[in-house]
Amino acid sequence: MTGQLSRTVIEPTNPRLNVSRNANLPHSPGIRVGEYIFLSGMGPVDPATGGRNLGPIADQIRQTLRNMEHMLASAGSGLDRIVKINVVLADIQDYDEMNRVWREFFPVDPPARTTCALQLSNGNGVEIECIALSL
Amino acid sequence: MALQRDVIAPKDPAVDMSPNLNLPLSPAIQAGEFIFVSGMVAIDATGERMHGTVAAETRQILAAMARVLELAGSSLAKAVKVNVLIYSMLEYNNMNEVYREFFPVDPPARTVCGAKLCGGSKVEIECVALA
Amino acid sequence: MREILPVPSPGLDLRHHYGHHQSPAIRAGGLIFCSGMVAVNPETGEREHGTLTSEARRIFENLKLLLESAGSSLDRLVQVHAMIYDRIEYDVLNRLYRQYVPNAPPARTVMSVQIEAGFKVMLDVIAAA
Repeated sequence: MTGQLSRTVIEPTNPRLNVSRNANLPHSPGIRVGEYIFLSGMGPVDPATGGRNLGPIADQIRQTLRNMEHMLASAGSGLDRIVKINVVLADIQDYDEMNRVWREFFPVDPPARTTCALQLSNGNGVEIECIALSL
Repeated sequence: MALQRDVIAPKDPAVDMSPNLNLPLSPAIQAGEFIFVSGMVAIDATGERMHGTVAAETRQILAAMARVLELAGSSLAKAVKVNVLIYSMLEYNNMNEVYREFFPVDPPARTVCGAKLCGGSKVEIECVALA
Repeated sequence: MREILPVPSPGLDLRHHYGHHQSPAIRAGGLIFCSGMVAVNPETGEREHGTLTSEARRIFENLKLLLESAGSSLDRLVQVHAMIYDRIEYDVLNRLYRQYVPNAPPARTVMSVQIEAGFKVMLDVIAAA
């Protein structure tokens, strides 16, 4: 039987995007295990202030995906290495708008995805998590 | 050495609605030993959402999921984890009774929960399988 | 190769007790995929409804049993979907949760969903083998 896969914590280079630490929450921003990266759910945090950037859902989604891009880059990966992504919307009616924005970030060979609507905290309109490959 | 990431695209509207609805997702992605399958809802032969009973939707989804996995050289028997989203947990048994037909031996690990789904679908199923 | 992991204690087999068509945990590709864990007695399988705290405590204890019997542990958790019946219990969840994964906790997304049998919490986890 082969040895155990190594497991390490991923943190964003920009400390303002480290919600786990800043909000003292019991999760790591991400975990790398073997060749896979699992990211905690991310929302529209402002990378300049660490505060929440609410507003139209399209902008919230863009901010969240830009933050995800940063998180993955901090781990030596990228949006194009995402294999599976899960989107939670506060309002299922935002689905079409979400799809419009999505293409800006995943123009080619987009990841596998599941979307649903659930209660979210703090007025967030979206929360996104993913599984990606390391580089 | 970086793992490769391959898109699995069935090109059959009865199995994959993403081209018909112009959805920016891949039906499945193979990466290393695993295949990650997007959440699937019941669709008809032309790739339109099919609304029906929970039982009928579950059946259509799992039949289509089997075909997506087979296209990637895998199968439902190689699924390791399935997540089922259902519009109401009151319909759990209706889903479960059909579901068991598709995994006759050693079923995958599974989580079922109630959530609001897109487009009025009653059931959505995603999975991770071995390549 | 995918391996169905045997349960260390009979109450953890929800397929046997409740007809849930699922294996409790599967090892594949260096990871362990667990079925959604709820508050059941690990010996008898009886549902143990309670506060969110008591249910979450039971869930973590069950996961500990399950993962350790497979040569893994709570420290090796990589991803958790923490499913709660209402987001209002978010802080309550966190208070209990951090006791079980105090260092380098796994990635997590909290999801407020409808859970089976009126349970308040369910943990859907992936661990490194």
